[in-house]
Amino acid sequence: MPLLAQLTVNGIIAGSIYALVASGFALIYGTNKFMHFAHGASVTFAGYILFLLLERTIVPFYGAIIITIIFTSYFGLLLYRFVYLPLQNRKASTVILLVASIALLILFENTLQVAFGPEVKTIPYDFDNRTFTIFGGTITILQIFIFITALLIFLFLFAFMRYSNLGKAMRAVADNKELAAIWGIDSRKIADMSFLIGSFLAGVAGILIGLEQSLVPTMGTMLIIKGFTGAVIGGIAYVPASVIGSYVLGFAENYGVALLPSGYKDAIGFVILFLFLLLKPEGLFGVPKGVKSNA
Amino acid sequence: MLNPYFINIIILVGIYSILAVSLNLVLGFTGLINLGHVALFGVGAYTSALLTKAGAPFIVGFFSAGLTAALFGFIIIFATKKLKGDYFALASLGFAFVIGSLMLNLQWLTRGPLGIVGIERPNIFGFVLNTPVEYLIFVIIIASISIFAMRRVVNSPFGRLLHAVRNDEIGLRVLGKNTFLIKIKTMIVAGFFAGLAGSLFAHYIRFIEPSSFFLSEIIFVLSIVIIGGIASISGSVVATALLLFIPEILRFLPLQSNLLGAMRQIIYSILLLVILVFRPRGLLGRIDLE
Repeated sequence: MPLLAQLTVNGIIAGSIYALVASGFALIYGTNKFMHFAHGASVTFAGYILFLLLERTIVPFYGAIIITIIFTSYFGLLLYRFVYLPLQNRKASTVILLVASIALLILFENTLQVAFGPEVKTIPYDFDNRTFTIFGGTITILQIFIFITALLIFLFLFAFMRYSNLGKAMRAVADNKELAAIWGIDSRKIADMSFLIGSFLAGVAGILIGLEQSLVPTMGTMLIIKGFTGAVIGGIAYVPASVIGSYVLGFAENYGVALLPSGYKDAIGFVILFLFLLLKPEGLFGVPKGVKSNA
Repeated sequence: MLNPYFINIIILVGIYSILAVSLNLVLGFTGLINLGHVALFGVGAYTSALLTKAGAPFIVGFFSAGLTAALFGFIIIFATKKLKGDYFALASLGFAFVIGSLMLNLQWLTRGPLGIVGIERPNIFGFVLNTPVEYLIFVIIIASISIFAMRRVVNSPFGRLLHAVRNDEIGLRVLGKNTFLIKIKTMIVAGFFAGLAGSLFAHYIRFIEPSSFFLSEIIFVLSIVIIGGIASISGSVVATALLLFIPEILRFLPLQSNLLGAMRQIIYSILLLVILVFRPRGLLGRIDLE
C-alpha cells in the first residue's frame, strides 16, 4: 500500500512540525497558565532572522542557527516582560492575557509583512535533498531530521520536567504558586525561564520549518493554531502529552484527506479542536482542573 | 463633507458600530469573551447574500441573516455551556475557525475562496438603494434602531442582571436566577444584530469571501469594544469611528498600497495592547477589564 505508507509518512512529518510548535507553547502554558498565542510569532520571527542572516550577512550556516535561537529565546522573554508581566501585575485575568497574545501575534505578523513584503521567501541554504523510500512512502533527509528533533525534544522535555530541579520547580509553580514561594522558589524567575526555554523551542521550530517549507509572514497563525490544537488534544498543561497530541493531529489530518477532499485538511483540525474543547478540554492525558465552571 | 470617500467611511462606521455594540453586549455585560463573534457577522453576510442571489427579496435576506446568526449564537453558547474563562474564549474561537473552513470548503454553496460576487443592492419594497448617499441613510437608520434597541436591553431590569452575571455569577445563582438562561438570551440578541450587520456589509461591499471574517477581523472588532470600554455603548460607537478614521492618515504617507492592510493591523494591535496594559477601562468605560 504505497498510498497508506505515504499518508503515514506525511502524518509523521506534519505531526513532528506541530510538535515542535506545541512543545514550547505547552511549556509556557504549563508554568504560567495562560495561552501564549504569540508563540506563533516567535516561530516566524526565527525563520526570518535566519533568512536575514544568510541572505544579507556572511555569517556561516551554523553560526546563523545559534544567533537565531538566542535572538528568538530573548524575543519571547521580552514579550513576557513588556506585555504579559505588566498585565499580570495589575491582576488581569488569563482571558485578557489571551487577547493580548492574539494582538501580539497580529502585530508581529504584520510587522514582518511590512519589513519583508508579503511574498514567499526561501532560506538560501541547500539542505541535502536526497530522498528515501520506506514501504513506498517518500521522505527527505530534512524531514527525517525534523522527526528526530521532535523525538529528542519529547524525550528531553519529559526527562527535564520529571528529573531536573528547574523542571520540578516549574511544575511546583504551576501547581501552587504560594506553596512554591514558601519553599523558596522565585516564581518570577521560573516564569522567565519558561519563556526562555519555550521560545528556544520556537527558535528550533522556526529554523526547521523555515528550511522545510518557505517563509510567509502569516505562517505563524496557522502554525500556532496547529500546535495549539495538538497541545489541546494531548493535554495542554503537560508538555510530553502535547507532543503526542500533535502526532494524533498530524495523522488525523493526513488519513482524513484520504477520505475527504484535500481542502478539508485544515477543517479536520478545526473540528477536532472544537470537539476536544467542548467534550474533553483537559485533553487525552490531562487532569480536568480549572477547565469547567462549577455549574 | 459629502464626498464619496467620507461617505464610505461613515457607512462602515454604521455597520461596524452595530457589530461592536452587539459584541459589547456579550463581552461587556455578561463577561463572556466571545472570540467567535465575527463568525456570526460572517454567517449573516453569507445568509443574506445567498438568499438574495437565489431570488429572495432583500428584506427576507436581511432578517434571515439576523435570525440565522442568532441561531448560531445559540449554538455557540449552548455547546460551550460547561466551559469558563479561557476555555470559553478558545472554544468560541474554534467555532469561528470551523465556520471559516466551512465557508472555504462548502464550495457548492459558498464558492469557497472565490467568494460571492455581484451581491445585489438592497431593494426595499421596490425602492433600490443605488447611490452611496441612499445607502448611508439606510445604514444610519438601521444602526440607530439597532443600537437604541440594544441600549433598551441594557437599561432594562434584564440589563442589570447582565451586569450581575459579569460581576458575581455565583451570587446571582444563589438568588435563584438562571444565569445560563440569561447568557443564552444575550447571545441570541447579540447574534441577531451581528447578523444584521453582516447583511448590511454584504450588500454594501457586494463581494464577500471567507477571509473577510477571519482572525484579523476578530482583533479589529475586539479592539473596538476594548478601546471604547467594556459595558459602554457610546464608547463602542466612538471607538468604531476612531478606529476607522485613524488608518486614513496612512493615505498621506508614502506607502505601497499592498502594505496598507498590514499597517492598519499594526495600528489596531498596538492600540489594543496599550489600552490593555495602561487603561483597562477603555476610553469611555467605567469598568476595568480584568
